[in-house]
Amino acid sequence: MTDAVMGELVPYRSPRAHADRTSRLGMVIFLASWAMLFAALFFVYGMIRARADVWPPAGAPRLPIALPALATVVLASSSAALVRSLALLERGRVRSASLALGAALVLGTVFLVVQTTVWRSVHAAGLEPATGPYGSAFYSLTGLHAAHVVVGLVALAALVIGALRGSYGPARLLPIRLWAMYWHFVGVVWLLLYVTVYLV
Amino acid sequence: MSAESYLASPRGVRSWLLTTDHKRIAILYLVSVTLFFFLGSAFAVAIRLELLTPAGDAVQADTYGRLFTMHGVVMIFFFLIPAIPTVLGNFLVPMMIGARDLAFPRLNLLSWYVYVLGASISLWAIVHGGVDTGWTFYTPFSTTYSNGAVVTTGIGVFITGFSSILTGLNFIVTIHRMRAPGLGWYRLPLFIWAHYATSLMMVLGTPVIAMTLLLVVAERALGLGIFDPARGGDPILFQHLFWFYSHPAVYIMVLPAMGVISELVTAFAKKNIFGYRFVAWASIAIAVLGFFVWGHHMFVSGQSAYAGMVFSALSFLVAVPSAIKVFNWTATLYRGSVSFRTPMLYAFGFIGLFTIGGLTGLFLSALGLDVHVHDTYFVVAHFHYIMVGGTIMAFLGGLHYWWPKISGSSYPEGWARFSALVIFVGFNLTFFPQFLLGYLGMPRRYHAYPPELQVLNVMSSAGASILGVGYLIPMVYLFWSMRYGARVAANPWGASGLEWTTPSPPPTCNFETTPVVTQDPYTYSSEEAQVVG
Repeated sequence: MTDAVMGELVPYRSPRAHADRTSRLGMVIFLASWAMLFAALFFVYGMIRARADVWPPAGAPRLPIALPALATVVLASSSAALVRSLALLERGRVRSASLALGAALVLGTVFLVVQTTVWRSVHAAGLEPATGPYGSAFYSLTGLHAAHVVVGLVALAALVIGALRGSYGPARLLPIRLWAMYWHFVGVVWLLLYVTVYLV
Repeated sequence: MSAESYLASPRGVRSWLLTTDHKRIAILYLVSVTLFFFLGSAFAVAIRLELLTPAGDAVQADTYGRLFTMHGVVMIFFFLIPAIPTVLGNFLVPMMIGARDLAFPRLNLLSWYVYVLGASISLWAIVHGGVDTGWTFYTPFSTTYSNGAVVTTGIGVFITGFSSILTGLNFIVTIHRMRAPGLGWYRLPLFIWAHYATSLMMVLGTPVIAMTLLLVVAERALGLGIFDPARGGDPILFQHLFWFYSHPAVYIMVLPAMGVISELVTAFAKKNIFGYRFVAWASIAIAVLGFFVWGHHMFVSGQSAYAGMVFSALSFLVAVPSAIKVFNWTATLYRGSVSFRTPMLYAFGFIGLFTIGGLTGLFLSALGLDVHVHDTYFVVAHFHYIMVGGTIMAFLGGLHYWWPKISGSSYPEGWARFSALVIFVGFNLTFFPQFLLGYLGMPRRYHAYPPELQVLNVMSSAGASILGVGYLIPMVYLFWSMRYGARVAANPWGASGLEWTTPSPPPTCNFETTPVVTQDPYTYSSEEAQVVG
């Protein structure tokens, strides 16, 4: 192969920065793919709703609004804590960053507790996964989302441990950045879920 | 040659099973998809044996249902969808863009293991009695009535889907981020454009079928009721979701094949591709349009008449970019210096057969005609012209074209031309009569048929046995050539493309120094054209 032709400039990028951007693009594509996983379920929900004569279907309870609203606030705060943690880490304040990371983990766990409470109340009101399409779609959507929250929490826990051990700093925050992208994605899906399933 | 070839070092089974070299992973995939191809063919043999006589005598109706289901599941999910991207794509995408590997080499290896896991689970389902739903898993039969191993097969296909997603993700990121200096988008070989378009569909379509199969499995195993009409569920909803992926899946199979053909036609006509940008953007157009035509599988399923009309019109639209490709390949031949080497024979086969498959696709997009031939052998013949006449022809053509690069040796040209001819004849004898059968009204998926239709069925079965022989010959001589074939130089075809600038077979690192690209992808026609080396 010929060597660089004279006069043609090849812009310099540090290999680390190049690799980091590659990983982030990988995460973006991954999340785009995962969005389609949820899109399929939202489509199912939409079709069931569009075909129903009354909503919620006869015999199905009304869903609570306040408790899921609380869950929305909690999950949003968790995402915000993660943003804060990254900002602190960029400035080299590793200890405060670890605290913010821990806060994101705790808030995420609170979300799961609230979600479980919602499930219990809805279940007690008579909505079963197997009664019909409505129950099936409701539990599938919220269940799939909760499963993603659990995965995120495991990752956050690992990140907190790593941060406390000093594994991350201004020069090394790619794992946190990638998981933050994932976590924001889980938050956005929840927001859509809250609006379509609980509010509208 | 300074560095050792990727085939030679490191040695040992362990070094192969834990490799992150895209070229070795391509070989791992080649071995696995070939195994599944012959497994799928075995089911086809059984089907054609049963259809030799009008009476349903060789196998029971129930067994026959399992045979065509397993034929479809194995061929589509474990051979056709992965074949070209994971074998030729894995091998060539980094080499064509001047990279040392894909963006995420370990993810690439993981995708192979995910494929093997999913495929093994489905194999296990076959051993435990198989599935009888058809590869389409239509509800409520699959969720309520079928007595086959729907759950196991569904989980197997579900898992394999993630291998597809990982491969697509890897290709997209690689093509964006790993191109050699100077290699702009319009300097990319059309093979890369085709793989980019395919990857988009893999990444955005596959999750939908994953979710759909998960819901079917959950409905069968856990009692969810989304598709169950008895509880107010909607079986048509399943069809919408299924075809939202499975129609694009057809383009996942044929787009990479089109990429292969663009390389073959230029290399063996010794001419630059006619209308590069049109061919490139036609790939993207097919990928985008492919997501909006799924309803043409459901003209008689009870969707609204208006939906049917819209889907019909959109399906006609797909013919535009497809025809652009066919016209441009043909125009490339004009005043070219065409040589009839084996890969070019396959390319000619592809262009002709894909055209027939595509044109009959237009018949099927027409609402009125589709009502007449829906669920008949006309449909079976149509998609076999695309999948077998299109994808497999291109896969074999590509395999022959890049075989010197992959193995470092040349295949026996005489045998190769002979088998290409056998395959072409066998293919047409197998599937052309099926167009007639379908038009005469023979429905698909039955193991018995009226005696009047026997002649055409016997022709089809005879063709299938010729086709089978045609597929076995390359299998034997390609294997043979690895040991006994003549060694070849870096660029035996005098072709353009970065992959031909490295030794055959390439060293593990592909390129000793990162190549710098200063010219267009096809340099056959210009006076100054020279093979850089």
